[in-house]
Amino acid sequence: MKARSSGPAEARRLPTTVLVARREIRMRLRSRVFVGGTIVMTVLVVVGIVAASLVAGTTAPVRVGFSGGSQALERSFTATAAALGAKVTLSDIADVTAGKAQVTAGTLDVLVTGSETAPTAVAKAAIPSNVVSALSLAAEATRLAASGLSPAAVASAMALVPVQLLQPPNPKDTQNLFASLALGILLWIALGQYGNMAAQSVVEEKATRIMEILLATIRPSRLLAGKVIGVGLVGLLQLTIVGAAALVAVRVTNVAAIPALGVASILADVLWFLLGFLFYATAYAAVASLVSRQEELQGAVAPISVFQIAGYLLMYAALPNPSGPLATVVSLLPPFAPIVMAVRMASSDVPLWQVGLAVALIVASIVGLTWLAGRMYSNAALHLGARVRFMDAFRG
Amino acid sequence: MTGTIQRQLEIDGISKRYGQTVAVQDLTFDVRAGELFGFVGRNGAGKTTTMRITLGVLAPDAGVVRWLGVPLTFEARRRIGYMPEERGLYPKMHVAEQLAYLGELHGMTGAEARGAALHWLDRFGLADRRDADLQALSLGNQQRVQLAAALVFGPEVLVLDEPFAGLDPVAVDVMAGVLRERADAGVPVIFSSHELELVERLCDRVGIVERGRMVACGTVGELRAGGQERRWLDVPSAPDDWGARVPGVRLVRADGSRRLFELDPGVDDQSLLRAALATGPVRSFERVEPTLGELFRTVIGEAAA
Repeated sequence: MKARSSGPAEARRLPTTVLVARREIRMRLRSRVFVGGTIVMTVLVVVGIVAASLVAGTTAPVRVGFSGGSQALERSFTATAAALGAKVTLSDIADVTAGKAQVTAGTLDVLVTGSETAPTAVAKAAIPSNVVSALSLAAEATRLAASGLSPAAVASAMALVPVQLLQPPNPKDTQNLFASLALGILLWIALGQYGNMAAQSVVEEKATRIMEILLATIRPSRLLAGKVIGVGLVGLLQLTIVGAAALVAVRVTNVAAIPALGVASILADVLWFLLGFLFYATAYAAVASLVSRQEELQGAVAPISVFQIAGYLLMYAALPNPSGPLATVVSLLPPFAPIVMAVRMASSDVPLWQVGLAVALIVASIVGLTWLAGRMYSNAALHLGARVRFMDAFRG
Repeated sequence: MTGTIQRQLEIDGISKRYGQTVAVQDLTFDVRAGELFGFVGRNGAGKTTTMRITLGVLAPDAGVVRWLGVPLTFEARRRIGYMPEERGLYPKMHVAEQLAYLGELHGMTGAEARGAALHWLDRFGLADRRDADLQALSLGNQQRVQLAAALVFGPEVLVLDEPFAGLDPVAVDVMAGVLRERADAGVPVIFSSHELELVERLCDRVGIVERGRMVACGTVGELRAGGQERRWLDVPSAPDDWGARVPGVRLVRADGSRRLFELDPGVDDQSLLRAALATGPVRSFERVEPTLGELFRTVIGEAAA
């Protein structure tokens, strides 16, 4: 037995899994595919967000200009608009003709003319109904006050009907719908892309025949683990770059509120990406060891892709009712949990035991898959030429 | 020999079948420290299977491979330098970086591995290509890198499958020199080859494998001792159909006035000379040692019969 010495030299003798992962990372970061792909993805995401903000421009406040006598309505209009949930910005317009010109030009959304008791709203083509209601209520209050009612009597007369909700929606639901959906799609794309990357990396070693030298040196499970970890970290780096660019774009364009972006939820998303990646990449890598050429890869990984696509569709089914029975069950199953549970956690409050159970199930599956994949890997890795049948690789 | 550690690689009774096909059948031989062992046989005879089993990339159905007297463990196998029949390295990785990576996988530190990579590239005259991608090199140079990959971590044993295939004569000399040097440093070296002249010139011992069995194993001298004696005679006055007619002597072939005879064991070659002198003058009478190639064909022929 070789004596193990300690000291600085020993410290730099790295475990084989780390060496494999390090090579994978170095080679990928150096490749044009990675650099170009990251740039293209970043540009696409930023352009998409900017385009979405242009399409969804209606969330911007309605610009309302008051002219002449109607300017006396401004205070009560601000209050009624707020009560009705209309976002408005106010301005004084000195000249009605100039104001109409602004409306026509699109620099002003609504021009209010006339007196404070009988105002008229001028708009180009349409006017949000809650702005009309707010203006009507403000004028009504003014008329009541003019008829001699005390301010308290006016307030009581104008009070809005109280509303009682038996099942109030979780504010997180609506706020985060956009963010959750975007997150789910991003996770789905990432799992597919980096899972395939791991598969290609395995086939590359088979196709270039370096596998035989490697397997004479490293245990198959270590080689597989190093490869999956290396590709996973590269994927995480690429996602971080693209994700950071997306966050900046969302903040700048203000296209959506992002309350989901606390530290805890980002960590949860990273966790689900990593678990999902380990699950799918291990499965992809095992299947990839059955083929010898890149061209055969797509056919071989098809059965795994089916699970991934099912997860994507189930995400849409689960999103409208993230606490319902379908969403709950599906989010616990390992092949779907990385997407569906991540989306549930972003859009609603998921009981902790469910999260814990989903994590435990997928971790157990990853351990099982790694064992299976290592076995297939060592049996199939040296069979070149014809595609290896699954059961042959399994039996050895 | 009990009690002393034997620095030899022992392949002991290994067998391997692929379905109905027997690849290796009860194959036994050993390679000692400081020895160059040539492994010859026809295509499909079982050489590659034997080497793969030695390296542990293939599991035998029966038998065991020992090093230093104990069955090879995974850790011990990591100290064997291997050049597989299917050449393989990363085409898009720099040559020196690639060798250093393999060195580290075999347990070297980063600094040791880089130093060793540069040493072997220098040794094979590839120092100026260290930062080139492997695929940018000629096939011969790629082969040198492949051998460097087997040597880079200072292996205790070398197992090389056809290391000379596809090399030019200069590269053959460089590689032969390196293998001799490693053997002289106490490393058992086993390599397979179809270049029988090269094997005869280079190897201390030779094993001939046929249909998965070791049919002859020993020094070339030992293999010759078991074979037939041969004599070339130049008999210009003998009739064209002269065939000596001496018991235990057969005419192998005639070449003008020259005749090649094969003698059964124990036959006195002077009786052949006397028969030749009876035809007239004898210009030459020459004892010929069969080449390894001739021995190989004889042995394979016997094994097939």
